Amino acid sequence: MTFAERKHELRERSELYLRLAAMEDIRRRYPDAGTRPAAYPPAPAFWRTVFVPLYRRLPWHVKQRAMRTLRMTSEGWPEGARQFGTPWRPPPGGA
Amino acid sequence: MGERLVVIGGGGAGTAASTIAKRTNPDLHVSVFTEFPDIAYSPCGIPYVHGREIPRFEDLFLSTVERYVEDGLDMRMETVVTDIDLDRRTLTARNTHEGFDKLILCTGFVWEQPAVPGADLEGLHYVKDIRRAMEFDKELDTVKRAVVIGGMWLGVEMAGALGRRGIDVQFIDEGPWLLSELVDPDVAQPAQEALEKLGVTVQMGTRLDGFEGADGRVRAVATSRGELDCDVAIVCLHKLPNSALAEAIGLRLGTTGGVVVDDHMRTSAPGVWAAGDMIEVPHGLTMLPIRGLTGSHAYAQGRVAGANAAGEDRSYDPVWIPWGFMSGDYTIGGFSIGETLAEAMGIPYFVARGVGVSRARYFPGAAKTHVKLVVEPGTLRLMGAQLHGGEGIKERCDFLAFAAKRGATLEDLAWMENIYSPPIGALFEPIQIAAQNGLAEQRTREAVTV
Repeated sequence: MTFAERKHELRERSELYLRLAAMEDIRRRYPDAGTRPAAYPPAPAFWRTVFVPLYRRLPWHVKQRAMRTLRMTSEGWPEGARQFGTPWRPPPGGA
Repeated sequence: MGERLVVIGGGGAGTAASTIAKRTNPDLHVSVFTEFPDIAYSPCGIPYVHGREIPRFEDLFLSTVERYVEDGLDMRMETVVTDIDLDRRTLTARNTHEGFDKLILCTGFVWEQPAVPGADLEGLHYVKDIRRAMEFDKELDTVKRAVVIGGMWLGVEMAGALGRRGIDVQFIDEGPWLLSELVDPDVAQPAQEALEKLGVTVQMGTRLDGFEGADGRVRAVATSRGELDCDVAIVCLHKLPNSALAEAIGLRLGTTGGVVVDDHMRTSAPGVWAAGDMIEVPHGLTMLPIRGLTGSHAYAQGRVAGANAAGEDRSYDPVWIPWGFMSGDYTIGGFSIGETLAEAMGIPYFVARGVGVSRARYFPGAAKTHVKLVVEPGTLRLMGAQLHGGEGIKERCDFLAFAAKRGATLEDLAWMENIYSPPIGALFEPIQIAAQNGLAEQRTREAVTV
């Protein structure tokens, strides 16, 4: 498996198990929304008992830094919204 | 002859890229290769023809192949590109080799196939190609029972359309609530109720176990909650990037499996651009790459790729993804992240809610508009929103996505100006109400903390 494929798998799995854990929490927050227990296969022990709790304990800025270090974020793109007061610039050649 | 640009793919991104390239540089020889016989139609309209809200499939066509030829494009219909040699700048199609100088890949998406027994039976339908949809529509005249599988929004649209047509529809999905990968449960609930009003039976938390067949054709769907008899099954799982050709020629793929591009839609190979459902682009809030966006995103990316391939210098911004659709007669929408996704990603947030009306409350047709804003604590910057109600949801989601992209805060929204005109807008804008409520709660929280 290449490094790129490993990163793809890491992202897929981490997203899935973080989402499943979040869905359970959100279900409890909305008891009257007519939800049902999800029918996904249960998360493997490592993801359920190690990864998800650890990820949740880390502050967002630490997670962001980790994602950048692992090059999980996009490269070659300008970052962040334009700030107020910055004049709008039309794209070259018109819209 | 001048330079030759080859565009592979005739969907939204491919047609936009080719027409803009030709318009930008009329000397460019632009060839479009597509495996399909049709071009320039709206696949997103297909469910609404099945539901008889749009009378004919022909109404979904925006242009014709002849029109593109008249505009100077070299159209290669029903022509599959089987190989590309980037070093020699040649491609192979129909067993002949042709040269090119620049290349734009817009090969779109493929549907995720369910990995269960019986997935190869006849009677399983995937919504994509208009010709197949036309045939399927004739089949629907004799269909009494259908099962729709998968909780993406196309599944909801298809379930609503078939329900509208009087077909007995069972909608199943593994998720705990409707569209749980995208929508929060409080927003999903009225959307589910709207589907049920059309006679659709919604079974959330239901796993697909397989398809049962007779004489090679599906007759039932096996699920974790029992077997559901059906004449057809509509499969709407995830859209996957159709990046096989890109991978074969060595283009860099990203963490989503989509092709990596920069803000000019340039791929990792010089002189090769890509756009549409096959690429990944950064989310404006997190800069994490995402893919599988909307037709309008594909079209805009195609325009950027086409203009740049033709010699311009045009960039594409990270996305804030306004989205919205009808569930039955009800509209839901949003942009960026909701509560569930913020929770999953571990992004600090708080929620500001409000309910207003779409017109003056005394004006006939006024509908409740529910607004939920996802806000960054401290800066009060808008990070996402989810809305539901009647008219005006789409416009509000577009506006909020744009406001967030420009860095708008809860304060900005709380004091925004709005149109008051009884038939089209109420005195108090629902977004404003949500923002005012959010600020009030924030002040209460601060007072308690002090």
